[in-house]
Amino acid sequence: MDVFTNLMGGFQTAFSLQNIYLCFIGCLWGSMVGVLPGIGPLAGIALLIPVTYGLEVTGAIIMLAGIYYGAMFGGSTTSILMNIPGESASIVTCLDGYQMTRKGRAGAALFIAAWGSWVGGTLAIMGIMFLAPLLANLAMKFGPSEMFALLLVAFFLLGSLGAGPFLNTMAMVILGLLLGTVGMDSLTGTLRFTFGIHDLYDGIGFVPVAMGVFGFGEILYSTAESEIRGVYKPRLRELLPNRAELRASWAPILRGSGIGFFIGLLPGSAHILSSFVSYITEKRLAKRPEEFGSGRIEGVAGPETANNAATGGAMIPFLALGIPTGPAIAVMMIALLIHGIRPGPLFISEQPQIFWALIASMYIGNLILVGLNLPLVGLFVSLLRIPFRGLFPIILLICLIGTYSVNLSNFELLVLLGSGVLGYFFRKLKYDLAPFILALIIGPTLEETFRQSLMRSGGSFSIFWERPITLGLIVFSLLLLGWNIYKAVRGNERAAENKAR
Amino acid sequence: MPSKRTFFFLLALTMAFSLGFSPAYGAEYPTRPISLISVYPPGGFFEVPGRAFSAAAEKILGKPVVILNKPGASGMIGTVAGAQAPPDGYTLTMGCTTISCANEWELANGRKPLATREDFVLIGSYILSPTLISVPANSPWKTLNDLIKDCKAKPGHYAFSSGGLYGMSHVPAELLMRAAGIQCRHVPHKGGAPALSAVVGGHVDFTTQFCPSTIPLYRGNKVRVLAVQSDRRLKSIPEIPSVKELGVDAEYQAWIGIMAPKGTPDPIVKRLREVLATVVKDKTFIDTIENAGEVVHYMSPEELSRYWDEETKKVAKIWAQLAKEPAPKK
Repeated sequence: MDVFTNLMGGFQTAFSLQNIYLCFIGCLWGSMVGVLPGIGPLAGIALLIPVTYGLEVTGAIIMLAGIYYGAMFGGSTTSILMNIPGESASIVTCLDGYQMTRKGRAGAALFIAAWGSWVGGTLAIMGIMFLAPLLANLAMKFGPSEMFALLLVAFFLLGSLGAGPFLNTMAMVILGLLLGTVGMDSLTGTLRFTFGIHDLYDGIGFVPVAMGVFGFGEILYSTAESEIRGVYKPRLRELLPNRAELRASWAPILRGSGIGFFIGLLPGSAHILSSFVSYITEKRLAKRPEEFGSGRIEGVAGPETANNAATGGAMIPFLALGIPTGPAIAVMMIALLIHGIRPGPLFISEQPQIFWALIASMYIGNLILVGLNLPLVGLFVSLLRIPFRGLFPIILLICLIGTYSVNLSNFELLVLLGSGVLGYFFRKLKYDLAPFILALIIGPTLEETFRQSLMRSGGSFSIFWERPITLGLIVFSLLLLGWNIYKAVRGNERAAENKAR
Repeated sequence: MPSKRTFFFLLALTMAFSLGFSPAYGAEYPTRPISLISVYPPGGFFEVPGRAFSAAAEKILGKPVVILNKPGASGMIGTVAGAQAPPDGYTLTMGCTTISCANEWELANGRKPLATREDFVLIGSYILSPTLISVPANSPWKTLNDLIKDCKAKPGHYAFSSGGLYGMSHVPAELLMRAAGIQCRHVPHKGGAPALSAVVGGHVDFTTQFCPSTIPLYRGNKVRVLAVQSDRRLKSIPEIPSVKELGVDAEYQAWIGIMAPKGTPDPIVKRLREVLATVVKDKTFIDTIENAGEVVHYMSPEELSRYWDEETKKVAKIWAQLAKEPAPKK
């Protein structure tokens, strides 16, 4: 078949000594970027762009892509070990991953995360290989109204994310939405809650907030109650997942691959959305959903697979149409532009050598990443042996540097510190953090797409039921809402019954 | 692992402190790396123009020109930082049409702009890039006249996308509507890429975006380009007519240039102006920029100043009308 001859050609290019080396460097740097909290793939790629000027174009794009998918690989590490997401897409991994660590199953969680990442990443490459042009056109069919409907589904799913009472979760969701309204309204230019501070014009960035409430908050909290976190000494046998864990993870890994790949096609914060949709899906499908949040392997396997598969999906509009769906991809595109190659719909047919070498290198890169990450599981777990008083200052410093390096903004450092304090109180009062962050991420886009839809239709709500995809998603979201209300009411009745008894 | 960029930034910072008392300007300028503020994020509108300039200027000046990305608030965060930088020639700012768009919007709404042209000394501009009017590939409109005819028949029915309200790609669409006497709905997006995807997906009827992002989609038959908003055709797509030859007065070209903070000593300004005038003749520089789909066009500080005035007038007129009457209903 044509695809295979092309792919073989790609492997020939990718297997040159230089390209293998660049792929390795990209993956290594990507893993580091992923492991270090605060530094995301965007910063990781932007920092290495100057290095690529001296390189030949295929090597350059191979390396940058390596950083991009490598970052998702490494993101789970600190989420699982320290309850601090290494990447914003690994926020939900904290929920069960960290609980597994507390049960002494850190090694297993890391192992499954790496394994799932590899499966998700590789399946997504196959998706790109066979379906890229087709799916790119499908992704373009998602206009504002479809995006709005999809985010509405995500929004109602948030209600069932938290482990605590429904009302507490909703309180956090609303707080996140409110924070998301700060800044210049992108559709009319109206300033909202900016108090004359220009740094607030672009709103409160979710990266510093996420790093703050999770990273700083966790550190403050653990410092206050250090007796909870004794120093943990893993034994080698505990590093590997047991048979029950392996059996429980294969289905979430496959589902996560599909969910991640398709959500990855959409513009915006697709990685974050994909991992969280995967988590909720697993929770819904589980026989005992109430056990989620107390260290279920499915809660690690699904999301970690999904965010890796999403990197594959996200590359499709870029490779097949030349339209970047997020800032990290936009920076990657620049590397091609600097070398005089303009990605567009003709990229795959005009530059088959580059495209297929990139595809081949991604297969190789995913193997390199497994090779890098699995042996490191033991090392990472032994990081837990470091007393927290030594580890925490280092993490704090990394969070600060990472946040500052993105926009060189002092203001974002203040946001980071402020959210840390907020995160401490949330933890102390036992409110869930994930719904808060996800609402902050989804909220502004939800509002924007809603208003864009209405601007398109001239104010008529008919746009939400005239288009089939939109209608389908809206109906689904309403069903979800109904289900949430039903469950909340029944929960209250049960509680009342229990009290009566 | 600090990158080259952060490293040089720190280096520049350390040296800025240690050389604070250095008495001699001019003759040996530059003695240390120069920072160039980009008001867009990495990968944004300034990425290729900024990189191309820094590489070419470095060859002439013999010191690195380091790009600092200070994005936010439609470019105003970086512009303010550039205006407030010490006027010693070691912090320059990239400027473009967005400054007049944003400032005139502030003025039209009765607010004071944060940083204006008065805060800078112009070094000159090196890119003048027209927008392209494009429609979905399956649109019934084959020519600009088709578009105008249908929009006239149904005022307020059709919609266009822009990269953001009162942004650089909103102005050309407003110019077109005013020149042709049509009214359309405006659907702002966050940046040029989403605005173009809205056209590719057929969610809006047309958009006015810049060449680097539009031309590849046009070549791949995902959008149809109806006209170039310039007084002449483009070398890269000679088959597309200009608005001037179509008799529609909707010319719009965005400039990209270099500015220094006000108060920068004359010898340094003179040196920088010479550098820019040499850079625009550099073969690699021209190739890098033209490969990305932009047009190299040098304007001296005087020319730029005149162009800026005209542009400001045009934009101010549109914004004044828009601020008075909010978006047209059906």
